[in-house]
Amino acid sequence: MDTLNALLHGFSVALTPMNLLWGFIGVTVGTAVGVLPGVGPALTVAMLLPLTVKLDPTGALIMFAGIYYGAMFGGSTTTILLNTPGESASIATALEGNKMAKRGRAGPALATAAIGSFVAGSIATILLTLLAPLVVEVALKFGPAEYFALMVFAFTTVAAVLGSSTARGLASLFIGLLFGLVGIDGQTGAPRFAFDVPELLDGIDVVVLAVGLFAVGEALYMAAYTSRLPETLEKMSGSLWMSKDDWRRSWPAWLRATAIGFPFGTIPAGGAEIPTFLSYSVEKKLARNPEEFGNGAIEGVAGPEAANNASATGVLVPLLTLGIPTSATAAILLGAFQNYGIQPGPLLFQSQTDLVWGLIASLYVGNVLLLILNLPLVGIWVKVLAIPRPMLYAGILVFATLGAYSLHQSWVDLLTLYIFGLLGFAMRRFDIPVAPAIIGLILGPIAETQFRRALAISEGDATVFFTQPISAAFLAVTALLVVVPWVLRRRRRAKTADQTAL
Amino acid sequence: MRQDAAEIALSLGVLGLGVFAAVVTATLSGEGGYAGIGPNFIPAVVSAGLLVTGGWLLWEALAGGWRNRGAPEAGTEHAFHAGAFWWITAGLAAHMALIGWAGFIVAGAVLFACVARGFGSTRAARDAALGFALSLAVFLFFVKMLNVNLPAGWLEPLLGSAGI
Repeated sequence: MDTLNALLHGFSVALTPMNLLWGFIGVTVGTAVGVLPGVGPALTVAMLLPLTVKLDPTGALIMFAGIYYGAMFGGSTTTILLNTPGESASIATALEGNKMAKRGRAGPALATAAIGSFVAGSIATILLTLLAPLVVEVALKFGPAEYFALMVFAFTTVAAVLGSSTARGLASLFIGLLFGLVGIDGQTGAPRFAFDVPELLDGIDVVVLAVGLFAVGEALYMAAYTSRLPETLEKMSGSLWMSKDDWRRSWPAWLRATAIGFPFGTIPAGGAEIPTFLSYSVEKKLARNPEEFGNGAIEGVAGPEAANNASATGVLVPLLTLGIPTSATAAILLGAFQNYGIQPGPLLFQSQTDLVWGLIASLYVGNVLLLILNLPLVGIWVKVLAIPRPMLYAGILVFATLGAYSLHQSWVDLLTLYIFGLLGFAMRRFDIPVAPAIIGLILGPIAETQFRRALAISEGDATVFFTQPISAAFLAVTALLVVVPWVLRRRRRAKTADQTAL
Repeated sequence: MRQDAAEIALSLGVLGLGVFAAVVTATLSGEGGYAGIGPNFIPAVVSAGLLVTGGWLLWEALAGGWRNRGAPEAGTEHAFHAGAFWWITAGLAAHMALIGWAGFIVAGAVLFACVARGFGSTRAARDAALGFALSLAVFLFFVKMLNVNLPAGWLEPLLGSAGI
């Protein structure tokens, strides 16, 4: 009952005209950046972070959250019509969506993506509403040791377990952690890695790192390796209405995808890529006519698009209740909270009820707005896709430099931005994941604080991390996650070696 | 056995970053109070992490190349286009140099034109005009609506006499 009251109070915050306006701006901008290839929600929120100085926290965070899940809606349009995934979370959609468009069924593909996103987003928001207070109950018992162990778990899964290479994931994480060390040590006030440069004493801002890696790095990469390729845009074709058969095949896929996507969002699994692919393969397995997969099966669009929205909402559970970001965008959202001096975590639900419940209520509102924005108005977004690539990237870089420059009004930040751009270019080219670096930058300093606090409480006794049951459990799970796949791989290799010996 | 010079260079870069971090860490205080560890402890851990992963990457690069590197789909990439890369770099460098004295709008127009050129646009005058219009709109929105401080530079007298 408490939850219901809190949620009703949240609606009274989210439905004030100003907050409705911020929510509307957020989902509109989110849809636009989702549609545009090359601009993702992480980059957009990072570019807009300097605005936090001017806005009140509730409105700003409602807008940022709107951008985040709005991008999940918009991404499908690009993927279906252009065969270039608008977002990494839409790669699985590209497999069937573009095939449907080629066969003149772009309309139903866009419709099942939009309605599926709405259904999954709304169910996931209900789950978030019910789950968050329970997690808060548990999290209130956490001390510094537990938090530190939880962060080690998050670092490990994001960097080492997921992704194509443990070595490259860890390299990215440690680079991010190193950047996080730059500035004044929060415990003793001693400067570290700053070399008396005033811009560095403030620490490396997540805006500069994220915008450098995503915008400048991406622009350099796209220009150098793809700008001379021809583009093909599929025509919007076919009625937007789904046939009875389309509905019958879509809705079970939406529900299954929600069940897959939401839990994946809540654990540190590096965003929406894994659940979307998982949903795709589940739909392929369960399909009555699997031979249709690869030629435009509607289940293959309905599932992944629903899954990425469910996981986007799931990501908010650990972010709001524990302060743990599980994707690059979530890390930047955490940066937005920090700009206001607010630390997400269980106490947020007691000290900032307006903010947190207003934000959750805005998700319900936002999903409705997005359905309206994406279904009847899809024609407008198709026009956005027609912006020529040179203009698009030129515009992105004007905004990117604006975000970095407005931090200190200094060209030093612009130089740092370019250096991070070169880093992003190399990471993109050599398949090094970016999310661990951003999570390391944001979460690293918090993890260090918790680590030193835990040791200060135990008076320097490092066994505290292993004697507290919750902390020990997190560390044990982390160790298992690292060791088990490694052992399995060795055994498999030994087996194949045996077979070749025979 | 496949060896990629760029992979080796990047691995050495990570190792070098680790060495650099370790050298700086050595200058930090270890004074720790109750916790028993000081501001140098985590930097030491991070330095070690960079050295280990750098070494690991170098070993992979020398022994058959980095593992599981996703190859781009056929037809989605062309060979490295140096001109495109340098036009964008030049645009950002010019922007850095111009923004302080020429102002946000002029710097933005130059950046816009250079980036568009890098992406293969051949109509420099139109691009510069578009960039000027976009930067002006952004400038007015941020300065007037949001009170963000951006340099007007050369256009200050113009914007000033227009009452902006």
